[in-house]
Amino acid sequence: MLYFDHAATTPVHPEVAEKMDRVSRQDFGNPSSIYSSGRSSKSIIEKARIQTAAMIEALPSEIFFTGSGTESNNIVLWSLLYQKNKHVITSSIEHPAVLKVLDELTIFGVTYDILKVDSTGLINPEDLRSAIKGDTGLISIMYVNNEVGTVQKIKELVEIAHDHAVPFHSDCVQSIGKMPVSSTRLGVDYMSFSAHKFYGPKGIGFLYKKKGLPIKPLIIGGGQESNVRAGTENLSGIAGLGVASALVTNELNNRIEHLEKLQTYFKSKILDKYPKAIFHGNEQLYAPGICSLAIPDIKNEIVLAKLDRKGIEISNGSACSSGTVGLSPILKQMGIKDSINQSTIRVSFGRGNTIEDVSYLAKSISELLDE
Amino acid sequence: MNEPIIVGISGGVDSSVTALRLKEQGFNVECVFMKNWEGGGDQCDAEEDYKDALSVCNQIGVPLRSTNFSEEYWKGVFKNFIDEYSKGRTPNPDVLCNKEVKFKAFLHYAEDIGGVKIATGHYARINEENQAYKLLKGLDSDKDQSYFLYLLNQEMLSKSLFPLGEIDKKEVRKIAKNNGLLNHGKKDSTGICFIGEQKFFKEFLKKYIPSNPGLIKSIDGETCGEHDGLSYYTIGQRKGLGVGGGHGNNQEAWYVSEKDFKNNTLIISQGSNHPSLFHKNLSADSLHWISGYPPSQNTNLYAKIRYRQKDQECNITTLGETSCNVQFSVPQFAVTPGQSVVFYDGDVCLGGGIINDRS
Repeated sequence: MLYFDHAATTPVHPEVAEKMDRVSRQDFGNPSSIYSSGRSSKSIIEKARIQTAAMIEALPSEIFFTGSGTESNNIVLWSLLYQKNKHVITSSIEHPAVLKVLDELTIFGVTYDILKVDSTGLINPEDLRSAIKGDTGLISIMYVNNEVGTVQKIKELVEIAHDHAVPFHSDCVQSIGKMPVSSTRLGVDYMSFSAHKFYGPKGIGFLYKKKGLPIKPLIIGGGQESNVRAGTENLSGIAGLGVASALVTNELNNRIEHLEKLQTYFKSKILDKYPKAIFHGNEQLYAPGICSLAIPDIKNEIVLAKLDRKGIEISNGSACSSGTVGLSPILKQMGIKDSINQSTIRVSFGRGNTIEDVSYLAKSISELLDE
Repeated sequence: MNEPIIVGISGGVDSSVTALRLKEQGFNVECVFMKNWEGGGDQCDAEEDYKDALSVCNQIGVPLRSTNFSEEYWKGVFKNFIDEYSKGRTPNPDVLCNKEVKFKAFLHYAEDIGGVKIATGHYARINEENQAYKLLKGLDSDKDQSYFLYLLNQEMLSKSLFPLGEIDKKEVRKIAKNNGLLNHGKKDSTGICFIGEQKFFKEFLKKYIPSNPGLIKSIDGETCGEHDGLSYYTIGQRKGLGVGGGHGNNQEAWYVSEKDFKNNTLIISQGSNHPSLFHKNLSADSLHWISGYPPSQNTNLYAKIRYRQKDQECNITTLGETSCNVQFSVPQFAVTPGQSVVFYDGDVCLGGGIINDRS
């Protein structure tokens, strides 16, 4: 099996698995208990918090463990209900974990405007400036798009938000491990992350909240995570997230270099064979490793089925829950024609892929073109 | 690697056992779930059916893919469905669905992904002799679905398998149960796939066809009530007329016997044996012959004018390229324009057409 769908999820890193296994077997104490086994669990969590904070150049007190990136988004968005200014500005290419939540929140008086993107998936910062209103209470714009890999000019967008004293949230789930993500450099107020996108376990994510800013919990109970997310902590998950974070900190440059190499090689192989292939996204502002490409004249579901039979796993942008392949709303928002949309596949590389793997992938796609 | 047979799986017991049997016979089997309808109102049946299909595929160890033919269904089946109803006729979308979606769009898709044949859970059989393909009734006479398949052609039959054609429904459920398939007791789907239960039918039609109220009159010209649009009623319909059995001479039920489009009047008759409900002749158009050739005129044949009807002796009195007149030996109840008349010679399904008029 050859896996090229790392934007969907990544395999757990062996060091992460080892740590989780050890914690599961040895540490069962409730981190809230004050005796030895409780203290030991607590220290596992706090160590992970330091590792996680270090990865994004934040303070440990700015990190809150949650169940997923989706949950982190939800905490930030539902907090809007407690504030006076309930107008939100977001983008047209956000994940449903933002767009669907905002839609739900309109029942409770939240209003929102959606910024359009250009054909490369990029928001024009000036559009943000003119969209800010007197009652704008939050701006939520993703860092890296999950389908096409386009990187938004977050720093610039944050500056505009702060000029108007509006807090800024970013869904950063796809960015981590593919590029440097620094809370201090970006200046973002809230950021959402998920461990399984960077070789950590599933079912654990975290929220970054800049010191001093308000937040309200979605899950209320025993006051864990400084009252931001109650419930006895997912100890092994948090430990695994900590290790995965430390690995990012240590290996980031190598990972980026590796992804760049695979992507460049793949692109050139495909374009050599099939100059009509279209690579979506932005040529300057992109996260390496996410290739969204259209092979005109072949429907993506056919490509997916045939590669699957060869043991090659890739995706189209958006599979809905009944497994049906549909048109990607993100490509639609970028103004891509439906005929190109339904020919688009997403290949996303990871640390386990080699040049030989990518060569086999390119060869297999070429064979489809020859049929 | 031998090329796969692509099974259209719905999450129901028939298509599941279809996949299971082919797998047991040693074929390389892959399943495909088709989503043919978007929306569907409040019910997420497609979602649940997909989950059932997925668990079955996991149990028998075959891959499941999913595809969307809602556009093909809309253009090839649903538009015609609404069109026919707005003309006051009663179409049969399942017949068109087989022709346009299952044995066209799905067949093409299956070929595109490298399948060698498709298989479905229809109760019918295919017989090949010297590359001439015949469609035969399913051996379970109670479940025989050849009626729905009469628009298939030689090419479609040559690329299709019906593994359930030789067994009966009870046996299918037993196979499912013995193999531990979780859906062995799942209820058969009834009615039209995109509407679901019959009781929602009128409500559904009203979304697409505006109401047009008029009078309900008895065959003798007596006004019995009001209807809200001729399109919402079917010839032979008994329920939902709003005319009690007590109305009239006796306690017998009332039936729709005719639609008077000129006066926008629904004509009803009392008693299921009322002569106005029976006709001996019909005309049909949009004829299709599975072999590619029509049978010879004036030969004695059998026909069904609705699904699960017993074969009725008949004679094609005039036969053209696309239309024909049919005379039955005995008068037929509720000959309904828009429905299909399907011809048989013994077990062989010859083809059929759409009923246009009756006399």
